[in-house]
Amino acid sequence: MQRQQQVKKRIKQGRRGRGLSTAVLIGLFTTLSMAAKAVTVNVTDERGEPVSGAVVWFEGSHLSKDTQISQQLYKMGQRDRAFTPHILVVPKGAQVSFPNYDSILHHVYSFSAAQPFEFKLYRDSPQSLTFANTGVVELGCNIHDWMLGYILVVDSTHFAITDNKGIAQVNLAKSLSQSTTVNIWHEGFANLDQPETIKVAKLGTNQTLTYQLNQSLFKAKEDFSDEFDDYE
Amino acid sequence: MSLTTMNRYQFLSLCLLSSLPLVTPSVCGQSTQHKGQIQVSWQSASEYASWYERGASVNRFGQGDNRLNLSRAVLESRFDVSSSWSAHSVVQYVPDPDNKVGFTELYAQYKPLSKGAYQPQLRVGGFYPKMSLENPDVGWSSPYNYNFSALNTWLGEELRIFGIEASLKRSGKRLKQPSAHNWQWFAGIYKGNDPTGAVLSWRGFSSHDRQSVFNESLKLRPTAGFMSPQLSGQAWQIEPFTEIDGRFGYYVGAHWSYQNRHSLRAYWYDNNGDPAIVNYDTGQYAWDTKFWSLAYKYKITRQTHLIAQAMSGNTAMGKARGVDNDFDSQFVLLTHRWKKFRLSGRIEQFQVKDLDHWTFDPNASDGGAITATLKWRITDKWRAGAEFQYLETKVANRADNNLPTRQIEQLWRLSGEYRF
Repeated sequence: MQRQQQVKKRIKQGRRGRGLSTAVLIGLFTTLSMAAKAVTVNVTDERGEPVSGAVVWFEGSHLSKDTQISQQLYKMGQRDRAFTPHILVVPKGAQVSFPNYDSILHHVYSFSAAQPFEFKLYRDSPQSLTFANTGVVELGCNIHDWMLGYILVVDSTHFAITDNKGIAQVNLAKSLSQSTTVNIWHEGFANLDQPETIKVAKLGTNQTLTYQLNQSLFKAKEDFSDEFDDYE
Repeated sequence: MSLTTMNRYQFLSLCLLSSLPLVTPSVCGQSTQHKGQIQVSWQSASEYASWYERGASVNRFGQGDNRLNLSRAVLESRFDVSSSWSAHSVVQYVPDPDNKVGFTELYAQYKPLSKGAYQPQLRVGGFYPKMSLENPDVGWSSPYNYNFSALNTWLGEELRIFGIEASLKRSGKRLKQPSAHNWQWFAGIYKGNDPTGAVLSWRGFSSHDRQSVFNESLKLRPTAGFMSPQLSGQAWQIEPFTEIDGRFGYYVGAHWSYQNRHSLRAYWYDNNGDPAIVNYDTGQYAWDTKFWSLAYKYKITRQTHLIAQAMSGNTAMGKARGVDNDFDSQFVLLTHRWKKFRLSGRIEQFQVKDLDHWTFDPNASDGGAITATLKWRITDKWRAGAEFQYLETKVANRADNNLPTRQIEQLWRLSGEYRF
């Protein structure tokens, strides 16, 4: 998809000269607490600092599908001229509705290969769409050009987004003895269509993984947009 | 008009304005959007009658108008026809001088989704060129001060495009070499707007928030010049949006923005009027009016913004350019938002220089104003505010009516409004 290719080029240029760095570090810790059945994934950047907003999901044919997750109704809202949430992760085949909480019209679109679409969204009349293909769906608004959001469609029902401390809690009902793929994605990646992956031989519930990213992240410039910027 | 003396006509207009949003969705389905404002104000009145009641004051509310007024009602609508095409209308009601309801804008817009960095756009109909960074609120109003700056007040009075505007937007973030710089280039051609410049020449600059509606006719104080044989073809009112000479006018403009933090808008406007042409039936001349406008906005922080605009140009009418005036105006506006309050201060100056040799028709005027406004957003729907304006104007032709040429006014305004 053209826009995503452009993003890829931009970030690659930004990275040129910095050199590829860092090895993947996986720390395995077995914790004593068995209260919640979730794998804790710490995502850090090249310098070891925690990375927030990173999407983590597990893939493997042996992973059982959590029907509660796949049948959930997901929402990508628009509030105060911004997508909320900024990043939404959904399992393949999920239905996503687009409620508009603003009093004004939004013209939401995506040129993504995974799911191209467009909606004119009026207040209190949400539209919804089924996302049948995996991939990154970058969202924009034709009225408020600065609005940017992502829907990440994954072939998994085991996923989470890292919080401010760089921690994601991925639900896992029972320990896995087969090799599992752990995928990491961030909007600052050079190629948005290419998540970083690592294979983990065994995955126990209540285990903690630490993952250091292979690439430096593109950081978006601060945006000063406000309610009067659509007068253009 | 006071609220207590609202007549049947006003009541009907208001009912119509406020009922449209309720009616149209059921007719048009989910393809319409309405925004609106109903504003009530009290404004301390000028010592003289208002200019469009043929008085010598440049304010909206002249002698005897210091009552509670229904100062403005606006309905701004958008009808989406397809993905790329939409129709837009702005209907406004003002009580002064004679309960006017009409369109201030009515146009179709083409704005297609574009995959690449360049997006073409079109507007066709009657609309404002987007020169101002002071008027982005509903119905081309200002979210900062109640009374607009002198130069944008003038645009609201005498300037409207009846034609077509094409623009090309370059979105920096979508370029192959992404950039935080965004550009948009504009070109417009239009008919109408021939008498534009007449009000500026005979009354001078003003500061208010009343916008002329389509087909509006603005009355002027009959100065000595109007009694002269040279101006016998000129009516005592101006129809600023009419076509007189059959020629097209044009404008070109460019918008630049950086990170949504710095915005710059530069325009050159030329109505290409033939000053020798007069319509004796309506008493309207074609004026040759051209000017440039430069507007800048800087968001110092998210809460504190600076806006400035400058304009300079010339306007002339008559075969031998019997009325020939240069004009210019500048303002600087500083605004700060704190919780539900916005405090805005503006300082400005303006002048019209009389270049012609018709001494019986003096057009020189100058002045300046300092305006301070506090607005309170009680809720999204209910707003209130207060404004103080120190306004000094000197208009040479006031002497024709044995009035002092200089007026110093200290004006207070209190407004409450409902938005939907």
